[in-house]
Amino acid sequence: MANSVVKINNLVKRYGELIALDHFSLDIKEGEVFGLLGPNGSGKTTTINCLLSLLAFDKGDIEVFGKEMSPTAYDIKKEIGVIMQNVAVYEELTVSENIDYFCGLYITDKEERRKCVEDAIKFVGLEDFRKFYPKKLSGGLLRRLNIACGIAHKPKLIILDEPTVAVDPQSRNNILEGIQKLNKQGATIIYTSHYMEEVEQICTRIAIMDKGRKIAEGTKDELKRMIRNTETVNIEILDVSENIIKEISALPHVYDTAYDGEKLTVYCSGGKHNLIRILDVLQKHDMAFGRVYSELPTLNDVFLEITGKALRDKED
Amino acid sequence: MFFHDLKYMLISGFRVKSFLFWLMLFPILLGTLFKVAFGNVYENDVLFRSIPTAVVETTSDPVFHQVIDSIEESDEPLLDVEYTDEENAMKLLKEGKVSGIIYVGDKLSLSVTEQKMDQVILKTFVEQYGVNEKIIKETAEKDPSKIQSVVDKLSEDVSACRDIPVTHGDPDIYVQYFYNLIAMVAMYGSVTGLHITVQNQANLSALGARKNCSPTPKSVSMLADLTGSFIMQSACMILCVTFTHFVLKIDFGDRLLLVYAAAILGGILGVSFGFFFGAVNRFSLEAKIGIVMAVSMFSCFLSGLMMGQMKGIIAEHIPWLNKINPATVVADSMFSLNMYSDYSRFISRIITMLVITVVCTAAGIIITRRKKYANL
Repeated sequence: MANSVVKINNLVKRYGELIALDHFSLDIKEGEVFGLLGPNGSGKTTTINCLLSLLAFDKGDIEVFGKEMSPTAYDIKKEIGVIMQNVAVYEELTVSENIDYFCGLYITDKEERRKCVEDAIKFVGLEDFRKFYPKKLSGGLLRRLNIACGIAHKPKLIILDEPTVAVDPQSRNNILEGIQKLNKQGATIIYTSHYMEEVEQICTRIAIMDKGRKIAEGTKDELKRMIRNTETVNIEILDVSENIIKEISALPHVYDTAYDGEKLTVYCSGGKHNLIRILDVLQKHDMAFGRVYSELPTLNDVFLEITGKALRDKED
Repeated sequence: MFFHDLKYMLISGFRVKSFLFWLMLFPILLGTLFKVAFGNVYENDVLFRSIPTAVVETTSDPVFHQVIDSIEESDEPLLDVEYTDEENAMKLLKEGKVSGIIYVGDKLSLSVTEQKMDQVILKTFVEQYGVNEKIIKETAEKDPSKIQSVVDKLSEDVSACRDIPVTHGDPDIYVQYFYNLIAMVAMYGSVTGLHITVQNQANLSALGARKNCSPTPKSVSMLADLTGSFIMQSACMILCVTFTHFVLKIDFGDRLLLVYAAAILGGILGVSFGFFFGAVNRFSLEAKIGIVMAVSMFSCFLSGLMMGQMKGIIAEHIPWLNKINPATVVADSMFSLNMYSDYSRFISRIITMLVITVVCTAAGIIITRRKKYANL
């Protein structure tokens, strides 16, 4: 069994009356891409800040690489790379100077550092922007620089706190592919996000957070198995009578239906051929329908079923 | 790690456009403006120069000759005398080549066409000569070797109406503006100091958070940044004093090295003040800059940057304020080098600057030494 890289035990963090982390525990193994998923304000960043010893907490223990984490645990910090939610680079330093500066906080040997900086520039694809100042970079390139500054020293544990916020799809894909590449090179990754698609795409294990608590943990398949929904069938259809909806609701494995006048949504739990059975009912009643599509459950469904609310707001 | 941090602190610091403008270009522009605005007044009315004077002798007076010769032999002769006839003297006066005509007869008399400072001095000279004529003549007859000391006394009395400095430079309010300008540059250093705390505190900036996650101890990073800021600020102070003295030709006296030293210490004080202010509150960076600039400018206002008499007004009503107001202390340290021949006041101001610097730096370090934060 792989070694624990991060072990958080019963962490409690209060801001006055507000409990930001409520007896939160985690055990992240070496080589994992561990996702912390939760809506804004669920406690993801607070967990990261406590883990990095930036934030004081009220109760609990944090171990990194088997040692107690503290602000002066410099030997542990040397092995950690951090990419914060907010871009943290010097506006007055060029791309390569920024990476060299932050890398220099970890590596003193100039020759080794030069190589690391070069590798980092290539890794994030900023070869053509070495002499650029951050303000001349697009949002996506700036995020890439932010990542390069955090990983140039080749850390064993990389913590990425919402690194794709406000990033265009192309840069987002680039970043996600990069994270998977870093993982393949041996780094353990902790990835926080409220974008469930990203977490589903790259994380090998996921903890879902809400109101400072861990409400579920496992692989994405394990998480999806925790809920009743296994398939959602959507049919664009007009003038469906109550009787037809009742007939569909009575089909095996169908546990709920919803109709908004234009689209019929049928929620199924387990079973196979749910779509065929539903379409059979419609054809029997000579109902014409438009687009038909079936959706497998997402982490949002998991979150919805456990908490009774959507994982993220519509504007996200 | 220290030198790595210091290197990038200096590289990034000298590339900050607002730093280059406010601490290097703005003082040069303002200093030039002061020079243009007050320079003519200074040169016409304040700067010492010999007064061109025509002397018309209706009767020969060897004692007067002796007095004039003695005056002209001094380092800074009060009068630049041209003996001539009345017609030529009138011509010179009309053309403005002389400030007045002294007629030497039974008694001295004066003819002028204006009533400016030169004419007031000539009038005082003629009056003083009249009052002291008897003493001068007796001295010339009995002990000619003492005539110089009598002439010196006469010159001194005449010069007194003009506030000629008895020390090394010009204590005039005009020069005071330049001392205050240097103090202003020193106080602007507070913005540089403020950035040190912001960039090293995890609860104040993303950069601070990133640096706090690194294995470089915070003390090393802060020390490197403080050193870098002191170096940058010192460079600004040296530039400001050099430009003011050597380009604008402002006379800071003959203790220029000490003026540089005082200015550099003032700059370090400014950085420390900003460092402390940045650490002591959790306002946004913009708010911090706004407040620290306002405090710095108010400090400069109280020292007389915008209104020359302010320092005097404060001295009259709240004298203790002048002793602790950073801008006043910085300006006064340089002023005292010009004003007083001994160093007691200068040393007192330097000690005050050192105390403020040490207190601000120590307090800033104590506040920022915290390793974990309650909020981010």
